[in-house]
Amino acid sequence: MIGIVGKLIARRLVTAVPILLAVSVLLFCVLRALPVDPAAMSLPPSATLEEIEAKRHEMGLDRPLPEQYLIWLVDALHGDFGRSIQFRRDSGSLVATTLPATIQLALAAMVIAAILGIGGGLLMFRVRGTVLEPLTDLVSILLLSIPEFLWGLILLFVFGVMLHLLPFTGQVAPDLPAPRITGFLLIDSLLSGRLDIFLSACQHLILPAVALGLAFSPTIMRVLRSSLFDVYHEDYIQQARLRGLSEGHILIKHAFKNASLPTLTLAGVQFGILFSGTLLVEVIYSYPGMGNLMVDAVRNADLPLIQTIGLTYCVVVLMINTVIDSLYVVLNPKLRVR
Amino acid sequence: MPSALSRSLRSPRVLIALGMILCILLCAIFAGRIAPNDPSDQNLLAILAPPAWIDGGDPAYPLGTDSLGRCVLSRLIYGARTAMLVAFFASLGAMIIGSILAHISGYFGGTTDWIIGRLVDIWMSFPPVILSLILMVGLGVGLDRVILAIILVDWTRFCRVLRSEVLIVTRHDYVSAARLLGFTHWQAIAREVLPATLPLLITLVSLEMAIAVIVEAILSFVGLGVGADQAAWGQMIADARQYVYQSPWNLLLPAIAIFLTVAAFNLLGDGLRRTLDVRLAESGR
Repeated sequence: MIGIVGKLIARRLVTAVPILLAVSVLLFCVLRALPVDPAAMSLPPSATLEEIEAKRHEMGLDRPLPEQYLIWLVDALHGDFGRSIQFRRDSGSLVATTLPATIQLALAAMVIAAILGIGGGLLMFRVRGTVLEPLTDLVSILLLSIPEFLWGLILLFVFGVMLHLLPFTGQVAPDLPAPRITGFLLIDSLLSGRLDIFLSACQHLILPAVALGLAFSPTIMRVLRSSLFDVYHEDYIQQARLRGLSEGHILIKHAFKNASLPTLTLAGVQFGILFSGTLLVEVIYSYPGMGNLMVDAVRNADLPLIQTIGLTYCVVVLMINTVIDSLYVVLNPKLRVR
Repeated sequence: MPSALSRSLRSPRVLIALGMILCILLCAIFAGRIAPNDPSDQNLLAILAPPAWIDGGDPAYPLGTDSLGRCVLSRLIYGARTAMLVAFFASLGAMIIGSILAHISGYFGGTTDWIIGRLVDIWMSFPPVILSLILMVGLGVGLDRVILAIILVDWTRFCRVLRSEVLIVTRHDYVSAARLLGFTHWQAIAREVLPATLPLLITLVSLEMAIAVIVEAILSFVGLGVGADQAAWGQMIADARQYVYQSPWNLLLPAIAIFLTVAAFNLLGDGLRRTLDVRLAESGR
């Protein structure tokens, strides 16, 4: 089985290369079509025309577009993604310092979305045929209509502003030092033995992660329910009933196991969207992740930084898809035969 | 199709959703007549006034004022116009591009299908929010730019889902029969394939309208939306966020407006999906 998964990952990586190249060309074209001049932006406003021209020449902006792209590509392959105009730092290192916080938030949100989604899906399926069915159905559609940034605002308002229960700005209390070892604050605080920082980081993570998780749970709920419906048409469910197993046992041990496959595929697609959903939640909670950096870069037309972050999002989404596909092979014996 | 349509119109979800959408649409169309004040008129003497029924409220501003003393109710009503314009034109544009490519891809197959498929792959490896933000940097702010950005991002939704439907429909005998009768490929697509994919298309449009409303709100919230001169719900939320302690109403009201609009489109999409899709309608789910 490891061989099959290995082959699958290898095949995915081979197809990922042309996709990433195409994405980088697309990004490059969109960003070069902008009516902003990166050379003029990286000089003080008092710079003369000659100075700007010299800077343009230095940055390679006077060369033809395909040549500019190739220069960028060669640099990028060497790990140099260009300097951010507003922060005057290597944009690659800026992304590297913010990415762990975003991954941490996305993972926490995914766990919450999975718990709520699976719980809700099983509940919705359990009440099928009763008076509660149309009600749960309606609730799931209404939940589907609340995007993550509305959840973010609602939770901030209720638990932060009104009830003062949880903190709602930043990643950790401002008076605590944030240790940096791996970049993942939860892990780093434990590694350095600072339980107080760990707890503070957890508290700060709750609202953003729940907001994001809540926004993505209804889709999981609905797919799990409809996969359960499909599974219940199969003979083995009837068989299990004839063997005298309880409904709860059938649902969890037999139906859920098989219904989880299509749910997992969807969860994978959702995780890609959820990962980009961190952007708004980060903005709302001033959470120091990649999304906040992106919005900052976009507002200041910081082209090298936008390009690097855009590419990073694509790489992460492609990686998530690969992981989900491998998981699918691991869980579905039918796919292992080939 | 006609029977499916009448079945849809008997579904309570579809009726409720259509009723809600009609109300919002009326607000959007007659914004100039309904709104009690000019949405961009600033009254610096009445900043952050609460709704009229609360102590300190001013009857001239039924839902209070924002941080610049602008009438919240009027801005909500004009915001409905922005949201509806974006929902309508963005989903229409995305639908046209996406469904044309889907039909070409699914009907002709082969190399064409492969090229369009890879194009969709590349597009979809961008998370939609990120792609629309990057496009807005390139396009600049404004209502038409928001619509264009949503079209450029979301045509893939239509393309991918419809293509598999076209693939199934094209294999039916009646499509080959139409070709034998001397229909050109384009006639066969327009007269035989399209009517069969139409129910799915209508459902997708309704769901896309919900997405367009959310994306417009997100872009306006981040400050890359319709621009400062137009009222938009996302912008109202961004503005109210800074004064959440003084006037929570300003945050809640546009949030409720977004929720109701998106819920109406989702409810419509769900109702249509159940009643228009023959397979789903028969299984009673």
